[in-house]
Amino acid sequence: MKDSAPRIWRMRNNLYRIRYSKCKACGASFYPARASCIRCSSRDVEVRVSLGLGTLVEYTVLYQVPARMQDNAPMVIGVVRLDEGFELYGVIVDADIKDLRKGMRVEAVLRRLRVDGSSGLITYGIKFRPVIGAAHGEGSGRG
Amino acid sequence: MIRNVFINAGSAVEIDRHFDKGFKALALEAFRRLESSYGSVEPDTLVISSMAPESMSEQIGIAGVIADHLALRRLKVFRVEMGEASGLAAILTAYSLVSSGLSKGVLVIGVEKVSEYPVSLIAKVYSMIGDSDYTGLYGISPASEAAILAKIYMDRYGYSYEDLFKWPVLMHKNAVKNPHAQLRFMLKSDSYKDSPIISEPLRLLDAYPFGDGASALYISSMPGDTAVEISGVGSSNDSCDAISREDPLFFRSVRESFDDALRMAGIGRDRVKYIEIHDSYTPYAYIVLESLGLVERGDAPRKISMESSSIDTTYVNISGGLKARGHPWGATGIYQTYEVFRSLLGEAELSDSYGAVQSMNGPGSQSYSVIMRRVR
Ligand SMILES: [Zn+2]
Repeated sequence: MKDSAPRIWRMRNNLYRIRYSKCKACGASFYPARASCIRCSSRDVEVRVSLGLGTLVEYTVLYQVPARMQDNAPMVIGVVRLDEGFELYGVIVDADIKDLRKGMRVEAVLRRLRVDGSSGLITYGIKFRPVIGAAHGEGSGRG
Repeated sequence: MIRNVFINAGSAVEIDRHFDKGFKALALEAFRRLESSYGSVEPDTLVISSMAPESMSEQIGIAGVIADHLALRRLKVFRVEMGEASGLAAILTAYSLVSSGLSKGVLVIGVEKVSEYPVSLIAKVYSMIGDSDYTGLYGISPASEAAILAKIYMDRYGYSYEDLFKWPVLMHKNAVKNPHAQLRFMLKSDSYKDSPIISEPLRLLDAYPFGDGASALYISSMPGDTAVEISGVGSSNDSCDAISREDPLFFRSVRESFDDALRMAGIGRDRVKYIEIHDSYTPYAYIVLESLGLVERGDAPRKISMESSSIDTTYVNISGGLKARGHPWGATGIYQTYEVFRSLLGEAELSDSYGAVQSMNGPGSQSYSVIMRRVR
């Protein structure tokens, strides 16, 4: 399967930043961004961009890695709670698996997602890494 | 006028890595077995459920190709695709065609070639059941999502991995008695120790096996000699991912689709004596049982009986489930429905009660339920 240049270009705003929805009616924030609220169904939602700081809520180490991601195996897949108050699945990088802790602070970084052969597109996207010096519990109470 | 809808016949091909058979041969085998067991049928409609023939077999319009291969003519032909829930979505489609009067007899065949490629490619295609711009593109596979939900489940309700491993042991025990099951061997309570980790804490033995299969049903407006009536159907949906929901451990769409089907059948869940559920990964078996309302939240691992494979008075996954019968994607819902159909006809204990099937795509992202009872 070849990567489509128009598709990757079209997705640039979602790949290079974390765009989420904030509901003006009930205050809920959620990811991915949607046209109406997943809690109260209000259409009065706006798209916002996260600052990319959050907390690792849960994670798994994935060994059965899908094709085209195998250079990254094993992959750490985490649940990150962003400080704006919503959760998403994200790939965790730059950390020894044994150093990962639930509750540790993480930050968004731009990283390579996949490479389409030797002459095709290189797709980049947001992953997460531990905040340097991050310790368990740091930043608690911030969302 | 809404017509009653009956299942008159069915069949299932052994789920396996059928390197010698393509989707046409598998579909033909299912059709032949149906006719040799129940007599010839005269469908005016063919519904094929198949999840990924484009990716696995380079085939678009698969229903027309199968109709031609079976030499069936003058048919209304459809393919139904709703990811790994395609099979039950196809049953709802057939139900709608027959109950509306548009079709008199619908041949439904679920067929899937899964084991055509190396595991990483199969995992890649299976990852397409979610939102490809989000989880798919980042490599956040269904197995990793199931692993995360397993950890949240264990954390919240205080279970160990060993506690949850009861389910694969039970499913393998059940599959030994199922002639078309893929994994017909017993496990021990510590068999996981030799099983490779796919996404920790989940091991290969916590996931459905990759295998090919085909299963067929004949659904019509006439009860005929043997018949199981489709008494209720239901469907609902939720977010593609589980983690953006208010509670990732409760599959709301599973509850809603089951409640709709029960309401349509006019019964309470206590009348359902046998159900086949979608247990693609160990944690989903427990979450689904709890979401169906058959057991309190957090109680499923404690309440499932290893002796009778039941929760209270409801038998669960006598087939061995996706875990051990197997899960040939788009065909699975047809296998599940065929198994309940066979049991309602064959088991005296179930003669006065209802059977049910639950199916879903992803972690309850889209859900389907069917409720049946024997009428002849
Ligand atoms: Zn809202």
